[in-house]
Amino acid sequence: MIQYLTSVLTEGAIFGIMALGLNVIWGWSGDFDLAYYGYVAFGAYMTLVLTIGPPTAPGAEYILGLTLPYPLAVLAAVVAASLLGLVVGLIALRHLRGIYFSIVTLGAVYVLYVMAGQFVPLFDGFNGVSGLTDPMGDLLGLDYQTYQYFFLGLCAVLLVLVYLLMSRLSSSRFGLALRTLREDERASAAFGRDIYRMKLKAYVFAAAIGGFGGALFAAYLGAFNPSAWSPIEVIVLYAAVLVGGRGNIRGVVLGVFLMIVLVFESTRFLPDIPNHPSVALNLREIVIGVVLVLFLRFRPQGILPERRTVDRMPVTPSPAPSDSVAGAQAVS
Amino acid sequence: MHDLLLTLGFGLVTASILALSAVAFTLEYGVTNVANLSHGEILTVGAYAAFVVHRLTGNAIIDAVAAALAGGLLALAVHWAVVDRFIRRGAASLTVFIATLGVSFAIQYTLAIIFGSSNVAYTISQGAPHQVGPFLWTRTGITIIVSALAITAMLYAIISRTRFGKALRAVSQNRELAGVSGIDAHLVAAATWFLAGLVAGYAGFVLAETIGTFSPTFGFGFFLITLTAAVAGGLGRAFSTLAGAVIVGIVLEFTGAYISASYNLAFAFAILAIIILVRPRGLFTSARRTVFE
Repeated sequence: MIQYLTSVLTEGAIFGIMALGLNVIWGWSGDFDLAYYGYVAFGAYMTLVLTIGPPTAPGAEYILGLTLPYPLAVLAAVVAASLLGLVVGLIALRHLRGIYFSIVTLGAVYVLYVMAGQFVPLFDGFNGVSGLTDPMGDLLGLDYQTYQYFFLGLCAVLLVLVYLLMSRLSSSRFGLALRTLREDERASAAFGRDIYRMKLKAYVFAAAIGGFGGALFAAYLGAFNPSAWSPIEVIVLYAAVLVGGRGNIRGVVLGVFLMIVLVFESTRFLPDIPNHPSVALNLREIVIGVVLVLFLRFRPQGILPERRTVDRMPVTPSPAPSDSVAGAQAVS
Repeated sequence: MHDLLLTLGFGLVTASILALSAVAFTLEYGVTNVANLSHGEILTVGAYAAFVVHRLTGNAIIDAVAAALAGGLLALAVHWAVVDRFIRRGAASLTVFIATLGVSFAIQYTLAIIFGSSNVAYTISQGAPHQVGPFLWTRTGITIIVSALAITAMLYAIISRTRFGKALRAVSQNRELAGVSGIDAHLVAAATWFLAGLVAGYAGFVLAETIGTFSPTFGFGFFLITLTAAVAGGLGRAFSTLAGAVIVGIVLEFTGAYISASYNLAFAFAILAIIILVRPRGLFTSARRTVFE
């Protein structure tokens, strides 16, 4: 039971990090990005090919095949994911909003998915990459069981760190300025915000967090291949962000634990139905789809709604602080 | 030269299926301003309906009718249970778009519970290949092309010649104004979704018949290509969508034949990205793009 709980909580912490990243794009910047799970996957793939060494199985091939220490590989994976995010963002954020943005990001992630699955020299195609067992475990001299606790602790600490970072970002000038884009892009532009640059910065930052989540996920799973992910799984993260409270980081963490821990794990205890081996697994995906629709319809602000920001500098008769200066600082 | 024409012939079959799917998608978009992400599932449900009916009767024509009806009813259900309710509440079109993704997910996994998530075989004799002009088509291929032409002609007649078509055009141009003029926009939208569902369900049947196997994710994969064709033609513009479908269908058949069919989806989206960036309102429009697409 303890072992099982450890595994669930580790997964929850990792998904928490991913959801906090998604919240930057959807919660604050306001765009419905369907490519996000691609950054998670790319981060996971990169971590693996940077740590597991050259291919050994006959016929297997993938890029790099280095044996970097895990923390260094995580860093490299984060950089790789943000570069990918930069490329997609440069294209998709330039002129496109609303469903057009979503369609292009959907396209981008499917290109990545098809490449990862079909172009063998990249990540060994359908076989995927595997062989990352208990990174840093040897170094610290941990046995298998202790390692699980250690990894849970590590993910929990990292979740807290990402949370604190997001909390700072949320109340920073940049975070506030991002929300003005979400609410009214034209008005924000009229106040001198460089919309494209701000959205792009937020997008690349989110992709980096996604890649970071992916790097941890790679260590948790030990392997990654096209049957382990699908671009559309991002819907699980969207459901978590929506249920918890879009734009409210406390809500996002709550949402992850409600959707991922509760929904995922409660279906595990359903009785097996003969001839239908994966009913529980399918049922939880159905629940996620239905919950997404119901929340959008009846409580789009989520369980913990985002608090409206209060104007800390009410308009006074004295010369008002120049908004364009504030904007320039926020953007730079 | 011979190979080239053969490929072009196959491309026209693909394009016909794509045209049916894309026109249906565009009709849904036109009357509700919602890009329906669960559109692919209409095709999937159509294919499964044909599959079930085929086991009972073994008659391809009954399969086709069953697929179309199943598709129509599903589209009507999605419109009634989800889309229309959001619209009545004045939800933003992006919100409804996200909701249809949830619907798509729920339908895919419901099908996985009922039929299993692996491929089922749906084999109907394709008939011997016939030489038609320079092309080589099977009987099935010819049926698909002819039926796609007939269905499109019928849709054209409905949209441009009937009272219902007039109402449909009014709703798609301006829902409020149509409502003020005494048109029941919700009813027109529901009827249009039903009509689009019939066409998409039939498209699911012909696609399944052409490929021979399918799984619960079958329609979603094809939907991604449909989206390319619909955007290429211009979202919501039913007849330029056809041209988009023909172009995308033929391009995909050629890249599939000369490079690799495994990358079809990637090619489709490369085309899509270029079109959206260069001409976001579609290939056949002259409107200038704006920042706020």
